[in-house]
Amino acid sequence: MPEWNDREIIQGFKTPGNEERAFNHLVTCYQKRLYWHIRKMVIVHDDADDVLQNTMIKVWKSLAGFRAESGLYTWLYRIATNEALSFLKQKKKKAFSPWVDMDAQMSQNLVADPWFTGDEIQLKLQQAILKLPDKQRIVFNMKYFDHMKYGEMSEILGTSVGALKASYHHAVKKIETLLEDD
Amino acid sequence: MNMERKKPDLQQEALKNHPFGVPEGYFDSFPDRLQKRIREEESSSVPVRKIGKTTRILAMAAAVMAAALITTSIIRFISNSDAGGLYPDLALLEQMQVFDDDRYLYDMMEESAPLDEDEAFASQAIEYLAINDVEMDLIFE
Repeated sequence: MPEWNDREIIQGFKTPGNEERAFNHLVTCYQKRLYWHIRKMVIVHDDADDVLQNTMIKVWKSLAGFRAESGLYTWLYRIATNEALSFLKQKKKKAFSPWVDMDAQMSQNLVADPWFTGDEIQLKLQQAILKLPDKQRIVFNMKYFDHMKYGEMSEILGTSVGALKASYHHAVKKIETLLEDD
Repeated sequence: MNMERKKPDLQQEALKNHPFGVPEGYFDSFPDRLQKRIREEESSSVPVRKIGKTTRILAMAAAVMAAALITTSIIRFISNSDAGGLYPDLALLEQMQVFDDDRYLYDMMEESAPLDEDEAFASQAIEYLAINDVEMDLIFE
């Protein structure tokens, strides 16, 4: 099926009887990018699949009201980020116990995940990333792996470019230190 | 014997590719699985039932209370804005269910791990330089 651009998807969705077709175009077009963004946050494939489904269901329910004040991609990324954060928060709540270290748990999940395809060095890097606070982790992933521009990140995360640069800087420094100590 | 351990260097291009995979055919089958779930949710979410007289009266009472709550909330919202607050208080946001989707995002951006003295100084310096459009490479030197 030929790809639709964002405008065609939005207009298509607002045309009665065409919603499903337009939504299918949106899913096909954005599923990979959103999946990888979510996966880097929740780590395990099955969790990423759940979060991606929840994200897309939210999009299905609210696309009719999308006012295009921001780009479609920015809006989708924002919903995906929220869903992933909400998922992680619920997971932390469920696992709440003074004896459970969530970072260590995530790190174990990483090793046990059959869909982790990295080598030893990549594993060390991911384990270091998991030790960062959520904010620095997400900023680091968006910049380092997705090569996103600070302007775009600022729109998605609703924070200033300066604060994002500072977060990235701290994240890089911490990761370097963690890797050296390892 | 001098054993040198392999240390990851963040500048290595190979490290910039994420190390995750997916089951074969995952992205091909995702749209169909999603459509199936949406259909299931939609067919199970709206039970059709007749509304009795008592239910109707209760519903009307609830509507009046909701209207009163919303009006109060709006008045508080306006008075908060007049007072110069950038965001209305969180309880109000929850009442009105405004920005509900962004709640986790705002929480995350607000929550930050405590910075030590050096980090706090570096943050301020980076933000200042970023505002003045100094190149990233120069900032990180």
